[in-house]
Amino acid sequence: MTEKKHWLGRVYLVFAFALLYLPIFYLIFYSFSTGKSMSNFKGFTFSHYQTLFSDSRLIVIVLDTLIVAVLSSLVATIIGTMGALGIYRVQNKHWRNLILSLNNILMVSPDVIIGASFLILFTALGVTLGFGSVLVSHIAFSIPIVVLLVLPRLREMDATMIDAARDLGANGWQILSQVILPFILPSVFSGYFMAFTYSLDDFAVTFFVTGNGFATLSVEIYSRARQGINLEINALSALMFIFSIVLIVGYYFINHYTQSRRNKRQRGGAYLK
Amino acid sequence: MKKVTTLTKTNRLPYFSLYFLWIGLFVIAPVALIVYQSFFGIDHSLTLSNYRTYLSSSVYLRMTFNSFWFAFLITVLTLAISYPTAYFLTKLEHRQLWILLIILPTWINLLLKAYAFIGIFSQSGSVNNFLTFIGVGPQQLLFTNTSFILVAAYIQIPFMILPIYNSLVDIDPAIINASHDLGANNFQTLWRVIFPMSINGVRSGVQAVFIPSLSLFMITRLIGGNKVITLGTAIEEHFMTTMNWGMGSTIGVVLIIIMFITMALTAGGRKGKAKS
Amino acid sequence: MAKTETILELQHVYKYFDDFTALDDINFTLDQGKFYSFLGPSGSGKTTILRTVSGLILADKGKVLFDGQDITNLPAEKRKVNTVFQNYALFPHLNVFDNVAFGLRLKKMAKSEIDDRVVAVLKVIQMDGYENRMISELSGGQQQRVAIARAIVNEPRLLLLDESLSALDQKLRQQMQYELRSLQQRLGITFLFVTHDQEEALAMSDEILVMNDGKIQQSGTPVDIYDEPINHFVANFIGASNIVPGVMVRDYEVAFVGKTFECADAGMRPNEKVEVVLRPEDIDVTTPEQGKLVVHVDSQLFRGDHFEINSHDEDGNQWLIYATNSIEDKDKVGLSFTPNALHVMRFNEDEADFDARLSQYEEGDNAD
Repeated sequence: MTEKKHWLGRVYLVFAFALLYLPIFYLIFYSFSTGKSMSNFKGFTFSHYQTLFSDSRLIVIVLDTLIVAVLSSLVATIIGTMGALGIYRVQNKHWRNLILSLNNILMVSPDVIIGASFLILFTALGVTLGFGSVLVSHIAFSIPIVVLLVLPRLREMDATMIDAARDLGANGWQILSQVILPFILPSVFSGYFMAFTYSLDDFAVTFFVTGNGFATLSVEIYSRARQGINLEINALSALMFIFSIVLIVGYYFINHYTQSRRNKRQRGGAYLK
Repeated sequence: MKKVTTLTKTNRLPYFSLYFLWIGLFVIAPVALIVYQSFFGIDHSLTLSNYRTYLSSSVYLRMTFNSFWFAFLITVLTLAISYPTAYFLTKLEHRQLWILLIILPTWINLLLKAYAFIGIFSQSGSVNNFLTFIGVGPQQLLFTNTSFILVAAYIQIPFMILPIYNSLVDIDPAIINASHDLGANNFQTLWRVIFPMSINGVRSGVQAVFIPSLSLFMITRLIGGNKVITLGTAIEEHFMTTMNWGMGSTIGVVLIIIMFITMALTAGGRKGKAKS
Repeated sequence: MAKTETILELQHVYKYFDDFTALDDINFTLDQGKFYSFLGPSGSGKTTILRTVSGLILADKGKVLFDGQDITNLPAEKRKVNTVFQNYALFPHLNVFDNVAFGLRLKKMAKSEIDDRVVAVLKVIQMDGYENRMISELSGGQQQRVAIARAIVNEPRLLLLDESLSALDQKLRQQMQYELRSLQQRLGITFLFVTHDQEEALAMSDEILVMNDGKIQQSGTPVDIYDEPINHFVANFIGASNIVPGVMVRDYEVAFVGKTFECADAGMRPNEKVEVVLRPEDIDVTTPEQGKLVVHVDSQLFRGDHFEINSHDEDGNQWLIYATNSIEDKDKVGLSFTPNALHVMRFNEDEADFDARLSQYEEGDNAD
């Protein structure tokens, strides 16, 4: 690659990253403005943050959102991990592909379809819309990502390890708890993190199944944004940006930890060659 | 010969019980229900009228065509911005860090990103300030189809960059050296070697962008004005406003069919995966 | 010889995978304290035998007797047999100590006893001081030792080793061959080693069982199997061989390439069609006039300790020769060999008949 091309690529990347980040920083920037709209930065103030922290309705919604995220991702991780363990044991290729296809339907379906069809489902079952229906929906759409993250790790597992454990006298439960689970734990954590962010990020599905009495942050931001600009939302987005960075750093820390262990294994394996 | 897993079939059942309950209740039942619901009129009678209305109404057909057209434009715009980004990213050092920075915006709530553009595109927003500054004068940007396309593309860019980047990184550098060795210049190498080898990434990216673009309704509501211009908005409108679930489900079924067609057209990528 | 105790016996064992017969009427007994090798190409059924013994798969027909008790349907976790796996199958989330202690902890052994036994066994395999290392921090050879330690710490009376050296490089493999052999002799437990590497099997074993197509082709000491292969497969699989078609004229006389030669075999029908084996290192190169056979040299390669010569005779048979010197005149070369170098094999002779025939004429030899 010539120097000139290198230079061109750099300029392009600066443009691309600016495109990605400017709107976000724009949003955060105006959270400190004394004005009422996202233009003509007048003076610096924390007042929008003060409004935010005294907005008890919003704080309740934030807490509800976090409760839904924590609970739904926990349940989704348990069910998804069990599903992955089940799929791992399926020897028949056609069955396995069928189950995986069904698993992936919710991954590729547009959110509106998931939301609308869940709404029909809850209505058909006579479920009252609210916290319960939102929680169950979040569990439902988070399960497939857990399966997709745990399954490759299971496949990576040396299956003779299970033979070795049996050879040394381990029964089924001991194999699961002392060999398989410790091995797939990093991917289970990744699954939990992804499920957690899926839940936090979701708007469309929640919008359909939430009913009147219950709101998550996304739904609340939507209804406020439809009424126009409110710099309290800017303050909120600044805080959520920081929260996202904390989350992503946490996620990558775990991922990196897994990766480096894996790399070490491979390095160890290199001696075998 | 190596029949490694000797665990019997009965061992699978406890693992599968909850998972299969989930598949039955939240994968199969919802799809079945939405198809079932699509045969009900607004007066709760079993009828084909929803499909008849859909296929004979110029409003619905034009809306479907528009939705397609917008999704196509969004996909093309996203691809045009993302491919060079992904390509240049592979040339950088510390690529892991840069990729992390591409992923980071996807972790920020979608609604907040859309909301940012309400400010950016507003009458007194920064884009209009810039247009005034260069002498064009303020324009109506918000609540136009163009603003919808731009914001949708903005939101989808990372989902296009990532699969393309992954497929580019997987290309063995020796192949590029071989191409140069055989006399191809940089452009020829890019066009004849690198691009065809990254086509699977492009396919996955198109799949990841096109389907949501048909159905994003909050962006059309917040940015595109309160108009029903995509299949997603139409579904939301029928379910949440006019309460005509039958018609909403019919459009939902159309969207599901389009989704499967899109996936079938972009599925070529799987074969390539199987090889590696 | 002192009377030895039988530790393992397989009686008429069959194993099927769908339509494929992996084990076809397997019978053998193993004695306490010896080193056995199952030798065969991949797919020959040797690993299936191993897994049938360890209990990871169960025989479809026949009996597995361990120490006189029928364990045919006993699952792996209940058998007093341990395995060293091909790729070691060490637990990557546990360190060396915890890997070795894994089986003992499952037995709910007292902590102090576990500590003592793990430390002791790590000393045996010269890995003391590595207790807290993670598996990923070990070299291939060290992982191999830990895998052995993890198995022998349970004090099995029979240790199974599944292609255990195949992942190591050549040098380390040879070193481990010595170590495994001496470990087996020190511990006095029976080793059942599975390999496709004939050199490995020849070097380490008290007895070799050669497998092919789910059947035991031949069993015996390494020397017996090398010198007196029962059939074409065994002769070909173990060591390099020249195998040519011939006719057994009468006892101690075999004809091939149009000539009759004196040999050491007997007990066959007159004029029976046979195959004749001649090992490349048993052939000497001489002048065409002095040679028993005359061949034309096609190629020769220098292999360091010998020259490898490829040649053919007038009937078109290929002859491989290991010679100490290179050959100058490639057109016509004489080959000479002793009667003892020739080994005659009958077609479709099973092991029982083969052994009976051998003992018959060997007794006859002694009577002379």
